[in-house]
Amino acid sequence: MKFKAFLTDNGVNLLDKRFLQALEKMGKICHLYLTRDHAYFLHNLLNGDGIQCIAQFRKEALFDEYRISSQNDDRISFAIDLSLLHRALHSIISVYTEFSAGDSGVPGGNSAPNRIQIKLVKKLPPHSQQPMPFLTFETKGYKSAVIQDVPISKPLSRSDVLELQAALDMAQDLPQTLIQVPAMQQLQNFVEKMKNVGDVLNVSISKYGDLHLQVSTTLITLGAEFRKLTVIGEQAQSPTEDQNLSAQSRTRIAIQRGDAMTVQVNVKHFFKSLQCQSAKPDCAFYGIAQQGSCLTVVFQFFIPGTHQTDKAISLHCRLPVLDTGSS
Amino acid sequence: MSSSGIEPESPDLVCQLDNVQGVVDALTSVRWKKQQHAVLELSEHGIVLIVEETACLQAKVYLQRELFVKYEYSAEGRPRFGVSLGLFVDCLNTFSVQGHSSAIEIRYPGPDMQLLLKSVESSDSCTYAEIRTRIPDTISWDYNFEPAGSTPLSFTVKSAALKEAIDDLEWPGSSIYLILQPSPPSVTFRGEGHGDLQIDFMCHANTDLLVAFHCDRQVSHRYKYKFLRATTSNIPSSVIRDNRGSKLTIGRGGMLKVQHLVSVAKPAIPHPHVDSSGYQQPSRIAYIEFFVKPEVDDADNANDT
Repeated sequence: MKFKAFLTDNGVNLLDKRFLQALEKMGKICHLYLTRDHAYFLHNLLNGDGIQCIAQFRKEALFDEYRISSQNDDRISFAIDLSLLHRALHSIISVYTEFSAGDSGVPGGNSAPNRIQIKLVKKLPPHSQQPMPFLTFETKGYKSAVIQDVPISKPLSRSDVLELQAALDMAQDLPQTLIQVPAMQQLQNFVEKMKNVGDVLNVSISKYGDLHLQVSTTLITLGAEFRKLTVIGEQAQSPTEDQNLSAQSRTRIAIQRGDAMTVQVNVKHFFKSLQCQSAKPDCAFYGIAQQGSCLTVVFQFFIPGTHQTDKAISLHCRLPVLDTGSS
Repeated sequence: MSSSGIEPESPDLVCQLDNVQGVVDALTSVRWKKQQHAVLELSEHGIVLIVEETACLQAKVYLQRELFVKYEYSAEGRPRFGVSLGLFVDCLNTFSVQGHSSAIEIRYPGPDMQLLLKSVESSDSCTYAEIRTRIPDTISWDYNFEPAGSTPLSFTVKSAALKEAIDDLEWPGSSIYLILQPSPPSVTFRGEGHGDLQIDFMCHANTDLLVAFHCDRQVSHRYKYKFLRATTSNIPSSVIRDNRGSKLTIGRGGMLKVQHLVSVAKPAIPHPHVDSSGYQQPSRIAYIEFFVKPEVDDADNANDT
């Protein structure tokens, strides 16, 4: 089982400035899953509860000279503590950039360009007889080489990797209707305050492009409706007689017509899903999976300077529902 | 209370507010613990919110009709109803993050006697809330604040200084003496408990802190620290920023009245980098009043001469 690669500058930037801080909010521990072509950060795919989060990178998006081999079809996966990973990466970057900045000042003096190497190793930790697996970063500083070892779990067994791959395949299903979230930051502020009022959030999404969020307890009902949002996938024309109804009535009628679905999710999960915006996506879409099995949020990343989707990066979350949807 | 449950078309009150944050600030200033029941009283003059604790401390927030952009009142008598203060404030708070404008409509009663809130900004997004109300179970104790003699016993101090003094008195804790004396004119807070701490505001020395002072005889009363602290623990930051003063008056029997003013002015330009402190409508102030009963024992009675 071998894995070795060099992190590209773009990859360093993507992980350190955007994704790791978003992923840390999803949960401290995740599975890093490496295949011949992709690297995945996966939350809660093997255990049923909690918000599932899938961040997928084509190897070129993060790495150079990517080499992987294992007896399990060149697939390796292990659990890793994201905060340790982030700290290690952050520290190695500070050494790397300092040295690289120094390098650039010397014309022609840069024989071997400085790079950050990442590899899987087994080492004997201090005060231990048993070698342990680590994900190791290595780069050159001014006068020294710097190595950061991040402890990881034992690599997953062949059957666990198969199970992970199966769960990943399952999680790729997209809802039939996706609507684009308006002003993410505003919505995040709103839901943050909603958390104080109740625990269960009703989320309704219609083919007309309506998103309706509601927290309801015995003492209070608090809701927000956003209308005329961009719809991807199945859509329908909003009935004109709906215009003067209350948000609740409009949602009820749309569900009766089969034009909307509603699910109940944990308001904290919903808030977490909005925190993914620290990965700086260009837009976000919410949708309810078939039979209301989960609430999905898909983040879209553009190729810088264009409005074209960057297919090398993808991020989406699946929020478990608390109750079967009534659609 | 009118029978609006049957005629939802003519509610007792429909009003609109364009500065939710100001009202959130005002209501937060009387939120001294997590679970608090509040009574709302509606009238043609505005809305009064009353909270109290163990018949020793009462607070009122006066939201006069001038604070509202629209105020349509059509009830007979003065409808009163109870709500959870925490829930009401948390709920209002969700309306204050709507970005640019945060105008809301408040309506009472709804079809099931709820308090209804609704954002009134755009047709494509809308926030709404229905808060269940209760019949207020106790007639709130009438504090019946009366002056303690022919001349008032009062002083006005910068709110920030008052808050700082009361925060500092946390260390001795338990009971705090408030002493006013005419010569030399001064206000003294003295705590005795785990230790002694005395804080003096000398009228001549601190003219910028002690703005006004009326006292013709020495008085001394004792108040529970936790009640004194409640009067300043949640003073909104806008009060400190605007450098406002708080007025304290001692009434008959040692009842202490603490008054704060909270600005509910319409935000000029909701932009964090623009200094919007220029023009503020003078009438857009919410009045906050606290009434604190003194701790009474024989020694104290003798003190009030």
